[in-house]
Amino acid sequence: MNAAKCALLSNVNVESIARQIQRHEVHIAQGYGAWTQELADPASATFGLRPSTIFLIIDGAELLRGQSELQLILAELDEHLAWIERAAELSPDIKFFVSTIDVPARALRPVKEERIERRVEEHWQKGITLASASSSNLYIFDLKQLIEEFGRSHLYSNKRWYLGGLRFSTTGERLIAGELERILDAQMVARKKCLLLDLDNTLWGGVIGEDGINGIQLSETGAGARYRDFQLRIRELGKMGVILGLVSKNNEADALEVLETHEHMLLKKDDFAAMKINWSPKAENIAALAQDLDIGTDSIVFIDDNPLEREAVKSALPEVTVPDFPADTCELSSFFERVYKECFFTIESTEEDRRRTKTYLANAKRAAERTTASSIDEFLDGLRTKILLTRAGDEDFGRAAQLTQKTNQFNLTTRRYTEQELRTLQSTLGASVYIASVVDKYGDNGKVIVGILRREAPGTAELDTFLMSCRVLGRFIEDQILDHLVSELRRDGFSRLRVSFMPTRKNAPARAFVERLQGGQLVSSDTESGEQTWEFDISTASPVTKAAHAELRTTHELLAEVAS
Amino acid sequence: MVEKLIEIVAGALRVPASTLTPETGPGDLQAWDSLAQINIVSEIEAEFGVSIPIEQVTEIQHIRDFLPYLELKS
Repeated sequence: MNAAKCALLSNVNVESIARQIQRHEVHIAQGYGAWTQELADPASATFGLRPSTIFLIIDGAELLRGQSELQLILAELDEHLAWIERAAELSPDIKFFVSTIDVPARALRPVKEERIERRVEEHWQKGITLASASSSNLYIFDLKQLIEEFGRSHLYSNKRWYLGGLRFSTTGERLIAGELERILDAQMVARKKCLLLDLDNTLWGGVIGEDGINGIQLSETGAGARYRDFQLRIRELGKMGVILGLVSKNNEADALEVLETHEHMLLKKDDFAAMKINWSPKAENIAALAQDLDIGTDSIVFIDDNPLEREAVKSALPEVTVPDFPADTCELSSFFERVYKECFFTIESTEEDRRRTKTYLANAKRAAERTTASSIDEFLDGLRTKILLTRAGDEDFGRAAQLTQKTNQFNLTTRRYTEQELRTLQSTLGASVYIASVVDKYGDNGKVIVGILRREAPGTAELDTFLMSCRVLGRFIEDQILDHLVSELRRDGFSRLRVSFMPTRKNAPARAFVERLQGGQLVSSDTESGEQTWEFDISTASPVTKAAHAELRTTHELLAEVAS
Repeated sequence: MVEKLIEIVAGALRVPASTLTPETGPGDLQAWDSLAQINIVSEIEAEFGVSIPIEQVTEIQHIRDFLPYLELKS
């Protein structure tokens, strides 16, 4: 089987889920908070990969973090959805799977107070249902269903959340990864075309030839409902375009009598495209049916309660899929759900669904009236980002040191400093440590950027360290800060800036930043470590070309130490 | 007990159990990064029904460091 290429976007850390998917190529976005941003930007890394599928796994609790006003939350959901729909529209060759959301009750609250979580879940559900109906490449990934089936206490893990921003337990991750793999497999492997069924003790309980039409078990309620429910599932499969057929050792007349006259027989004669009801070996019948239907025997699934019949078919026709029949017939329905997932799983909707789609489309105007932001620039402007850039003070060195220790992705030189080293550096002549915090309309991201400038030769400054937490990556905040530092340096008489880049396994985002700076001269390049240093003439121009999207404030003594 | 531990760690890291000893730790294998460390802790907790305090997760530097938590249980 060929591997599919997919991207996994989320508002929580999904790297561990991605690692579990072995058969396919999975990419995750740098900075897991940035899922909408990745979608909004046609030039983002996610689209650069040209994936066949993009999964959006959305954690409800994280989506609501810090928000309590229902109307604001719903408005934000609409905005997210608008970005998703727009991305789906712009990339019609990519399949987008958007998850439903599960929002556990958040706070302690009086019983009488409204549970807004339900409203939020429902709003999202309606929104993505509409979106899926109007976009042929937008599908729903039913995460909520999975969580309901297995339970929050099994699928979530508080410890993993506090340790690494991992919302799901290892069990939860395995289940989610399994569902994702199934969707990817379905794109690479042709599903089975035909389901062939035995009759006695398979579609009803008992043997028609012995028990008679009034003696077999098949009823609306009670024990006979096991078989009726099984038939219900089979009929659903038939509606999805799978060919149904019968292969049974019986007198044809007895069997047809049940098919035509039993009041609880859901599957009728017309539901079966072909049938072989006789006393010949089943393998022969199956081979003959395959010829009649003009399909390969490798696209056939055969269900029979009798282990001897199953073995006989398996050995004569090894390419036919023959699932084991459940020992407990109360599990027939759930057994068949597994057969469906393993053999007939499809991501395309049925004709009936498509017809229903049309009525949805009439309502789809709402979607068009939602946010109509049309480019990454508008998206970024809409974030109303504010940057506060200051010289690090006493209260900042702890956080700044932590950032130099922990930041791997957007980190130009990955030089690690302790709190004491930074404190010393700040009081060293010619050196300056900066720290910046970022606030946007979703909240305060805190202090997330550290820069260290050192004055070298007269008129030359060196960017010793420049790093930023990945949660604010992709907004060109780094460009704006460097541009500001450059203008301050120029004002203070500096004409050259040296920028070094030390490649590591993880700092591709930093490389991308260095590569988009303009006008640098490579002044040194270490073949062993890979470290490269560029010098920029900043006397008249800035190396930064990206437009600013944030409001940047500083304190005026920013460069005091460098300048003195 | 050690064999079972090694088996769980090998499964979480997707490496053959034969490449691991009780002395193996995060410093020895590229696959054993901070995320793998969390996964290993989760798997061991689930398998043995124990709970490793969050403050001590990063202090585990060798497979054998898990043993005291398992002995506490039995």
